[in-house]
Amino acid sequence: MTLRARPTFVIFGLLGAGLLVTLLLPILDLAVHADLNGWRTALRTAPALDAIKTSLIASTIALFIMSLLGVPLGYVFARARLRLRRLWISLVFLPLVVPDLAGGILLLRTFGPYGVIGQALSTHHIEATNNLLGIILAQLFVASPFVVISSFAAFANVDPKLELAAATLGDSRWHIFRRVSLPLAWPGIAAGVTLAWIRALGEFGTTLIMAYNPHTLPVYMWVKFESDGLAGAMPVTFCLVILAIAAVVIAMVINHLKGHVDLVAPIGASLEG
Amino acid sequence: VIESDNPQSKIARLEAKFTMTGFSAYFGGLPLELPKVRRVLALFAAALVLSAAPRNEPVSVLYAGSLAAVMENGIGPAFSKATAYSFQGEAQGSLGAARMIRDHIRSPDVFVSADPFVNDTVLIGSHNGNIVTWYFILASSELVLGYNPQGKYGALFEKARAHTIPWYQTLETPGVRFGRGDPSIDPKGYRTLFLFRLAADYYHHPELASLPGEDRNPSQVYPEIVLLGRLESGQLDAGIFYKHEAIAHKLPYVTFPPQISLCDPNFSAFYARESYTTPAGEHIQGAPILLTVTIPSTVHHLNSSLTFVQFLLTSNELLKSFGFGIVAHRVGGDSNQVPQPLRQFAQGMFRP
Repeated sequence: MTLRARPTFVIFGLLGAGLLVTLLLPILDLAVHADLNGWRTALRTAPALDAIKTSLIASTIALFIMSLLGVPLGYVFARARLRLRRLWISLVFLPLVVPDLAGGILLLRTFGPYGVIGQALSTHHIEATNNLLGIILAQLFVASPFVVISSFAAFANVDPKLELAAATLGDSRWHIFRRVSLPLAWPGIAAGVTLAWIRALGEFGTTLIMAYNPHTLPVYMWVKFESDGLAGAMPVTFCLVILAIAAVVIAMVINHLKGHVDLVAPIGASLEG
Repeated sequence: VIESDNPQSKIARLEAKFTMTGFSAYFGGLPLELPKVRRVLALFAAALVLSAAPRNEPVSVLYAGSLAAVMENGIGPAFSKATAYSFQGEAQGSLGAARMIRDHIRSPDVFVSADPFVNDTVLIGSHNGNIVTWYFILASSELVLGYNPQGKYGALFEKARAHTIPWYQTLETPGVRFGRGDPSIDPKGYRTLFLFRLAADYYHHPELASLPGEDRNPSQVYPEIVLLGRLESGQLDAGIFYKHEAIAHKLPYVTFPPQISLCDPNFSAFYARESYTTPAGEHIQGAPILLTVTIPSTVHHLNSSLTFVQFLLTSNELLKSFGFGIVAHRVGGDSNQVPQPLRQFAQGMFRP
């Protein structure tokens, strides 16, 4: 029973190929029409370097916070005796389906200088918009669901018998988590974290509203697009696409190390846990 | 009326319904009911056929971002009501929009800019592919100081509005959060810089010129749409806006004298004393705020476009009600290229 023998696969393959071509053609076009030297020069200007620096610093801090808070949440979702588990998980999905601009407006109303939390912060002379903190908040909002969902899926896929065995040996929950669950789940988590990082790095709409300044790479790309047209935006576009490809490759390599094939483990299967 | 007649909105609703069905199927684990899908698809196809009917030939209008509320809630619906054509608008910064047309990223039927300079430098001429050869001056606008009446400093701005204190006293009050457009991407941004420099001279108050700080002062500049959103959500105390924006968004505002508000073509020479050079190296001279309208060579629906431009050029009262100033409909670029049906509306030549 080979793949070729089945007409279903032939038809599905053709349909899928159509989608793949649609997805990859724009990126191929970018590679074919690349003006590498000109773009490299454009990315070496002071404002471009500032934007790269801002983006890397903000997304790295955001990544650290997301992992610190998101991985434990994923574990709770997968293993705790939780009431309304599906509701909690659906809530984590919300930022993924809320449009970027709407997310920015919601965050602004909360963390803006006259917002509920923003006002309290500003009495302590802390501003949460138009600075690095604003960027990080925007990135957390849009990207942390990736960490939570991938951690949840990775922990849920750990064979409960292994954890049970550790428990019968008298290990505490913390020990089981550290010795059994985390080592087995980490490739899935790491892949999710990598994707969350690139989602944070590429975040535009929410960031634009929360922190126009200092410019992150996507905001800088938009400013160049508005001020210099397509030619101005291309170098940054190229830079972001390269970073995205790198993130996808890293996520794949991490999974490959442990022999997993799915970038994002099936979620539906363990929803009823 | 427009909402229920417009096939586009029908499609949008169906799309939303379709997405929701998929969404609930995913989250609820329910299998999609096939007959339902078929019904939705049939409606979808019907809507598509309807939208292709000639009765509803659309006019796609790419317009300056500041006009979003005026176009979508005022002019667009009024046009559709008055004619058989439907209106499809898109808001972009004037400069960005013009570059999109030139770079073939957008191909609108009609382009409305908030600055004749944009047409003259980005769209007209063989080096720009002669994408635009003529344009009409449509109306004038002016800068105003919009403010948040519910904010901490609401009472202070009310005083300025009643002209019991000079307007600049509000912005000189410590703690007041003030926003303005980004001069590198938004004509309103550099016009705001002109306003403060002109004000410094006009009031013999040199400190006013430095009130905005550096041109792109990171604590003051925002993209057009964000500036408005920040003020409306109560996160800013005041900002510089066009009068038509303030009216469309029901923002209270303080007016400036015509010597500095850039509203009056009679003060052109006075305004021209100020200038700004964009980071891209374009040198921009102070000038009255004028809206322009043109049909670029990217036009797909000539009939509806001509009707739309004619509608605008004969709607002075409507424009006035949105806060625009009425000016002569002069023609910029090459007046010989103006389409025949529109020539009767030309009221002289426009030279920047």
